[in-house]
Amino acid sequence: MSEIITAGIDIGSGCVKTVLFKVDGTKAEWLGKETARIRNRDPFHLADDTYQHVLKQAGVKRGDVAYVASTGDAENLKFSTGHFYSMTTHGRGAVYLNPEARAVLDIGALNGRAIRVDASGKVLSYKMTSQCASGSGQFLENIARYLGIAQDEIGTLSQQADNPEKVSSICAVLAETDVINMVSRGISASNILKGIHESMAVRLAKLLKSIGASDGLALMTGGLALDVGLVSALNEAMVKEKVNLVAKSHPDSIYAGAIGASLWGAFRHEKLTRLGQAA
Amino acid sequence: MSSTAEITARCQALFEDLNFSAARAWKAKAPGRKVIGFLPVYVPLEMIHAAGCLPLGIFGGGDQMEVIHGDAYYQSYICRIPRSTIELGVTGRLDFVDGMIFPFVCDVIRNLSGIWKMMFPNVWSKFFDTPQNFDPSIGGTYYVQELQELREGLETLTGRKISDDDIRRSIKLYNENRRLVREVYAFRAREPWRAPTSEVYLLMRAGLMMEVEEHNQMLRDYLDAAAREDRPKRDNVRVAIYGSFCEQPPLNLIKSVEMAGCYVVEDDYALVNRFLTEDVPTDGDPLEALALAYLKYSVETSCKYVPKEEDKGRFHVEAVRKCGAEGVIYATPSFCDPALLDRPMITHRLADAGIPYIAFKYAENSGQMQPIREQAGTFADSLKLWS
Repeated sequence: MSEIITAGIDIGSGCVKTVLFKVDGTKAEWLGKETARIRNRDPFHLADDTYQHVLKQAGVKRGDVAYVASTGDAENLKFSTGHFYSMTTHGRGAVYLNPEARAVLDIGALNGRAIRVDASGKVLSYKMTSQCASGSGQFLENIARYLGIAQDEIGTLSQQADNPEKVSSICAVLAETDVINMVSRGISASNILKGIHESMAVRLAKLLKSIGASDGLALMTGGLALDVGLVSALNEAMVKEKVNLVAKSHPDSIYAGAIGASLWGAFRHEKLTRLGQAA
Repeated sequence: MSSTAEITARCQALFEDLNFSAARAWKAKAPGRKVIGFLPVYVPLEMIHAAGCLPLGIFGGGDQMEVIHGDAYYQSYICRIPRSTIELGVTGRLDFVDGMIFPFVCDVIRNLSGIWKMMFPNVWSKFFDTPQNFDPSIGGTYYVQELQELREGLETLTGRKISDDDIRRSIKLYNENRRLVREVYAFRAREPWRAPTSEVYLLMRAGLMMEVEEHNQMLRDYLDAAAREDRPKRDNVRVAIYGSFCEQPPLNLIKSVEMAGCYVVEDDYALVNRFLTEDVPTDGDPLEALALAYLKYSVETSCKYVPKEEDKGRFHVEAVRKCGAEGVIYATPSFCDPALLDRPMITHRLADAGIPYIAFKYAENSGQMQPIREQAGTFADSLKLWS
């Protein structure tokens, strides 16, 4: 296989992530990355902006890119060559970021999913959280706003908890009511946040168990991957739930979907070239 | 010169109009005109046309109609199309329809014909029982008699005789219609990005609500426009969809499957004008010609008996190979007895032939498309990367 350049664009509910790779067989060189918070703006325009930005970063022209792969909510992205679904891309991206990963927990703004993968990043099984938003980043963001704390404080505050409060894991509405009651009872923000993290962590540990992820490393991806409070709550929950996995994050976890899209795009391009059908 | 967007917009307006304004307008144009409604899967429209009537496809209420009265007539564990058809009738949306033909699909649709007779005694209703024996001397003889009964029913309704020549003229027009329909499907199979299934589907559904001459022109216009327009090709997989021959999926489901990265290159939606796969001869006895075409040159659906178990699904495997599909989505309406009873046999046959497939259920009013997108999307991913 000759050297090619591919792009991955991941439109999430809160953020657009774009990456650029140079791929030659099994070797992949990361050329550029960019994120943009959506904040009521058109995600497709943001996708175009971030794409142009990574091309500029890498000094690459649009025409030099062999395959632009989209993922997330980007099915209608006009300039993409093809689209891959989030399970497929997060699995591949996680294995790129940490080759030991055999399970992935993708926790985004609206839902979370557990994915079991093999050493190549191929999806073996997956499950999503149910419709309820209490296991999602958006819920945590709302709670942080009620408590008057910044999002990047959530993790460290949660780790300072000494007596976490129990929060409903059934429903975001009930959980929000719980939180309002806790605030009026004078419970500290740390104990409230830890309680929420524990509630989410138990659900996620059960999700991992249900897909048959039994041992090894579970890499966290998506918008909540860098929440250190959630990572530590998850490791505690896995011990309690007897799931023999270690949850870890990666500084670039947020890009896992885009990375997976870009790398699968390269794989697909190679396959199409072999079949004489390159897109 | 119309564009595909203009043609599709007109078809969508017809498809969404549950008051059937266009058919009402057709009827109002001249005194004595009659409109004959018919249900899926197949009715020889030539007979209705030869009687001077307008055939009107009634494919349930879709996802835009709330079923209130219809639920009272049926138990909960059957499909939705009979409930929404009853709803269309009870709410007066079909009050201009002079006759209704209920072809054999399953017990539910057969019983709907009986219910219709009781509920609307002034409407001519016919249960059109297509043969399950494909020996011309047995099933053929029976079917000619059934067609003759249909002819006599239409004659009584309209008060005029239907000559053999009338039927032959209609067969000729419908042969042209079938040829053009096949051409659209062949075009879609070759270049699916130029003729998305969400458009082709509307084109076919609208064709079952207008005069055949008008539909023929519309098909020609669509083919011209689709060939003329430049649309970008995406790296999508080619799939065939089976199991959707009676109760139709909501348009959003068809769009969701396409959006999920699938080019649909073969399907069994609204089969009526694709049911016969070859021209019907226009010489000789026209009823015998229609009967023989049904016995010898018609598509296989779960409504047709397949005597040998080893032949079940062979049609699907051959069709998948012919259109170059990479996989099959077996999408059936919930509680569809024929499609769901056939599903294990057909999917086993696909698996034996090395054709990947997924299966799911829907209702004509399904509203939650995220699970469909996820299933179709991950299926497309697996075909793209690992098939």
